[in-house]
Amino acid sequence: MKKEKLLHKLQFFFDPARKRKKRHREELKKILRNLKKKERKITDKIEQADDECLKKLYQTELEIIRLQRKKGIDVLQQLRENKDSTD
Amino acid sequence: MPKTLLFVVVPLLSYGFWLSDEFKGIAAGIAIFIFGMLSLEQGFKAFTGGMLERILQKTTDTIWKSLSFGIVSTTLMQSSTLVSIITISFLSAGLLDLAAGIGIIFGANLGSTTGAWLIAGLGLKVKISTYAMPMLVFGVLCSFQNDKQLKGIGYILTGLGFLFLGIHFMKESFETFENTVKLADYAMPGLKGLLIYTLIGIIATMIMQSSHATLVLIITALSVHQITYDNALALAIGSNIGTTFTAIIGSLSANVQGKRLAGAHLLFNLLTGIIALIFIREFIIAVDRIDAALGIAVTDNTLKLATFHSLFNLVGVAVMLPFMNHLVALLEKIFAEKRPNLFRPKYLNPSAIGFPETVAESVRLETIHLYDHGIHIILHAFGLRKRSLSDQSDLKQLIKQNNDLVEYDIDAGYEKRIKGIYSAIIAFIGQANSAWEMKQSPNLALLRDANRTLVEAIKDTKHLQKNWARSRTSKNQATIDEYKKIAYQIVSLIQQIEQFRREIAENELPLLSLDVLKAMIEDEDMRMNRSIDTLIRERKITPETGSSLINDSTYMYNIKKNLIKTAETLFVHDNANAIRIERQLTLNEAEIRGVVQAVDAQ
Repeated sequence: MKKEKLLHKLQFFFDPARKRKKRHREELKKILRNLKKKERKITDKIEQADDECLKKLYQTELEIIRLQRKKGIDVLQQLRENKDSTD
Repeated sequence: MPKTLLFVVVPLLSYGFWLSDEFKGIAAGIAIFIFGMLSLEQGFKAFTGGMLERILQKTTDTIWKSLSFGIVSTTLMQSSTLVSIITISFLSAGLLDLAAGIGIIFGANLGSTTGAWLIAGLGLKVKISTYAMPMLVFGVLCSFQNDKQLKGIGYILTGLGFLFLGIHFMKESFETFENTVKLADYAMPGLKGLLIYTLIGIIATMIMQSSHATLVLIITALSVHQITYDNALALAIGSNIGTTFTAIIGSLSANVQGKRLAGAHLLFNLLTGIIALIFIREFIIAVDRIDAALGIAVTDNTLKLATFHSLFNLVGVAVMLPFMNHLVALLEKIFAEKRPNLFRPKYLNPSAIGFPETVAESVRLETIHLYDHGIHIILHAFGLRKRSLSDQSDLKQLIKQNNDLVEYDIDAGYEKRIKGIYSAIIAFIGQANSAWEMKQSPNLALLRDANRTLVEAIKDTKHLQKNWARSRTSKNQATIDEYKKIAYQIVSLIQQIEQFRREIAENELPLLSLDVLKAMIEDEDMRMNRSIDTLIRERKITPETGSSLINDSTYMYNIKKNLIKTAETLFVHDNANAIRIERQLTLNEAEIRGVVQAVDAQ
């Protein structure tokens, strides 16, 4: 088991494509976290806004962020599936 | 090498080859060595892939950092030429100031002295030809690979292999040469010898265009006692001066910044050479003492030469550094910059070609320069100035006030502010694309698009301007209001892009945040069309005016879309990896329109 693990680690070390993919996944997760933060902020803004026009503007921003997050989650899912299939 | 010199050198070499086989061997050794250096340089270019440029950008804010950068990079790559070229290209692109550039050149001079240590310490003590053969085989194998980094390693290995092989050839030929001709018989002692051998060193380096090649020749000749130690020192001084010849030739076609740097290089090497010649005795004593302390044998002349080479360059740096500001002032005075022409390219320099990231950065900066001119034209078309955007004034009020302004001539503005820079950028991109390193550069393709979309925005403004100007004299208030709305929406977007540009450093998701601006455009377009429909239906405007308004609102829509597209490429550029991922998450036109319609329906 230990040997297998070591071999796995070595394989990863010498495989720049896998390293790149891992970096890609981590960067994507960071972006998704930032989008989530932004989503919360705008939800708060909508609750506090009195002006209907402003509310609509925030609502559009919120919907855009939600759609961007959805796309991001799909990409992450795909990356994870690819990772599992190569493993 | 100038062609005239070539006409002299080729017959001389041919005569030499006919006279002596050993001479042929030495010359072939030098040729192989120089070829090795070229291959090494090529390898580092492919291998670094912009890393060197990134480090250069971040580590040259103080003189000590630039000096260290020069030393370390030249030591690692064994090519001061590559470091000099990249420094000139950075300086020309305005990414580096002259003092930092000079610091790097001083450092590169010092770093190149490690070459003498490698040749004297390793090249002659170990049978390096044994290593050369496998290096060549592995090198060529790797250079056949498609992977850029592996290819780079291949070039480096091949380069090292050829360097070693060249040294081996020179050594062997000198050894056989020793049996037939004794060059040492022509040794010249005293001041006369010092001056004549310095001159020979200068000429030899001018011909070979590489102080490394001259040094390896001097060291191998010294190792087999073909030249005396004193004469070898003079040759080393000469090679140091002669190497500036390459920089001077290179700077003839460079801009004023390149000339200043070549001037600094010449001054440094000349002064260092003069100091070494005047204090040669003191230097010899100092070298003996240093070598004794380092445990180097008194008889090991090659390592003593390496010490001398490092020492006099170090003294040169120590002498010149305190006068750095004076040197900068002197060079700026000698090579005075002509008054910058606002309407000419500022950042494009041919010396950057071959360095992908520098090329892309130069084009980006130049396109920003073009963008600022473009914004000037668009704002003037609506009777506004750029400062109207910055002083927080009410845009709607400003647009209302400028009823009787003289119409701005967009065609003249385009000819004066855009055409020259735009053509230069396109020519520069075309030139860069022919270099193999740039062929797959997605950045350049995006930048070319950014230029195109900006120019389209200006041209659409021109189409729009006609009716906008006519609307100012209209008697119909609804028409006037609609055209003011058009002007307001364009100028307001420019203002928001300016704000985005100012706050880009704090923006964690710059590319994704632009989707909100894109949605705003869609929303405004939808409202505008609705408003025109209502005005026609309520007979507040004629159908003819309505159709003009529809056309002009389409121009407005395209101007805004193109300005955002341009801004996206120009201002979102840091952290390439994150941007690549953000790009995957950005919404396309249909998705944005879908969101806008859904929110509108709520």
